[in-house]
Amino acid sequence: MSNCDQFREMYEAYALGALDPPERSTLEAHLATGCAECAKSVAEARWLVSQLAYLAPEAATSDMLKGRLMQTVRSEAKSKSSLPVATAPRTTTSGIPYWLSAGIAALLLLTLYFAWDAHRLKQELRAANEQNQRAEQLVASAAGERAATQQKLAGMEEQMAKMHRETAILTDPASVKIMLAAQKIQAPQMVAMWHAKYGIVLTGQKVPMPSGNRVLQLWLIPKAPGGKPMPSMTVRPDANGNFVLLVSNPPAAGSHTKALAITEEPAGGSPAPTTTPKWVGAMS
Amino acid sequence: MLDLVFLAAFGPKDDREASPDAALVRLLLENDVGAFEKLYDKYFRIVYSLVLRIVQQSGPAEEVVQDVFLQLWRNSARYDAARGPFVPWLLTLARNRALDTLRLKSERQRRLENQTDELFSIVVAPRYEQELDEKRRAERVRSLVGELNPQQKRAIELAYFQGLSHSEIAAELKEPLGTVKSWIRNGLIRLKEGLHTAS
Repeated sequence: MSNCDQFREMYEAYALGALDPPERSTLEAHLATGCAECAKSVAEARWLVSQLAYLAPEAATSDMLKGRLMQTVRSEAKSKSSLPVATAPRTTTSGIPYWLSAGIAALLLLTLYFAWDAHRLKQELRAANEQNQRAEQLVASAAGERAATQQKLAGMEEQMAKMHRETAILTDPASVKIMLAAQKIQAPQMVAMWHAKYGIVLTGQKVPMPSGNRVLQLWLIPKAPGGKPMPSMTVRPDANGNFVLLVSNPPAAGSHTKALAITEEPAGGSPAPTTTPKWVGAMS
Repeated sequence: MLDLVFLAAFGPKDDREASPDAALVRLLLENDVGAFEKLYDKYFRIVYSLVLRIVQQSGPAEEVVQDVFLQLWRNSARYDAARGPFVPWLLTLARNRALDTLRLKSERQRRLENQTDELFSIVVAPRYEQELDEKRRAERVRSLVGELNPQQKRAIELAYFQGLSHSEIAAELKEPLGTVKSWIRNGLIRLKEGLHTAS
């Protein structure tokens, strides 16, 4: 089996945007190696997926739309003003720098990082707000630009909210710290911080890479006798074995949970564990 | 953005560059309003139909369509005919913009973040692809998808028009994840084979 064979079944789903994050990351990591065969197959799958547009019931838009659009286009053509070219999506630094060595010092470093990034985002937000205000002063030609700016603002605000949530979980004294020890494997501990209101942040460092497309899946072990492990989110470490996983809505409350466990599962996760836990941590 | 890495892998430009659409797009670089109007008149209906199907409301749909065509006007230099035919590229752009709108509205996570720089997306038509008018193309696609079993069709529509992932579709349809993956892949393969056979 060539290296590309494992990806053949993913092309269409990738073009469709239906791959779950672990599989998508795996394929993108492969594409990033420069595999021309897979890149071409993905491009052809995009064509196939684009044909699905013709399933949409035919609808007619109002003449006013064309009128507004042509007014804008004529205005811009006339002024020959070089409107700002849409910039590529900001590549956010969702990857967390090396920080986890277990303990307060590492937590402080992470907090400083978030504070710095939040400050940067605020500056970007302020700049985008100013841009938005200027756009509002323009004539109708600015309508499209304003919509794009608002969309960008909303995206940034969404990311800020995520970062605030992670920071709150990691710094709030009310959060419960859970150390997950490796079971029968040589690997560092993982650390989970569980906040009753904001959720769980699970972090790992130098974690052995799961084989093939497999992923690590978090499980909540109920206190109730005979209770089955409750599936939570999956993650695949980066090339250095590091990851940060935010679980905004855990499937159970901390008070009902006895322990957290990590197993290795097929891509996409499993409804019930298929392997024995590799890391386990009891709730204190 | 990943696609930029592979541009060189697609070899020399082919004769698609000579298509009427590609010629019109090139005229946009010269601020040719007439060329823009021709492209709009030719494709606004399919773009609007697609976007309306995704966002469900005419007001937001018109905003998305306006945004898509303004992006085309302002960034026509980003479209390279060598990367593929114009219409699938435009539809990919429109779909992703519409899904972005849908996700922001419902505060869903941006799954396609790395894929949404549609202005750079490469779309390559297969060798058997031939020029068809929009009406015949729509008839052909609807007929082929109509032959799929209802659940298979539903899974594909949830992915395409609502931007749901395999896991989300499995939850929505209360079916095993593996089943959903098979439905979608096999359905698209059948569509691909059907388009090939019909050409």
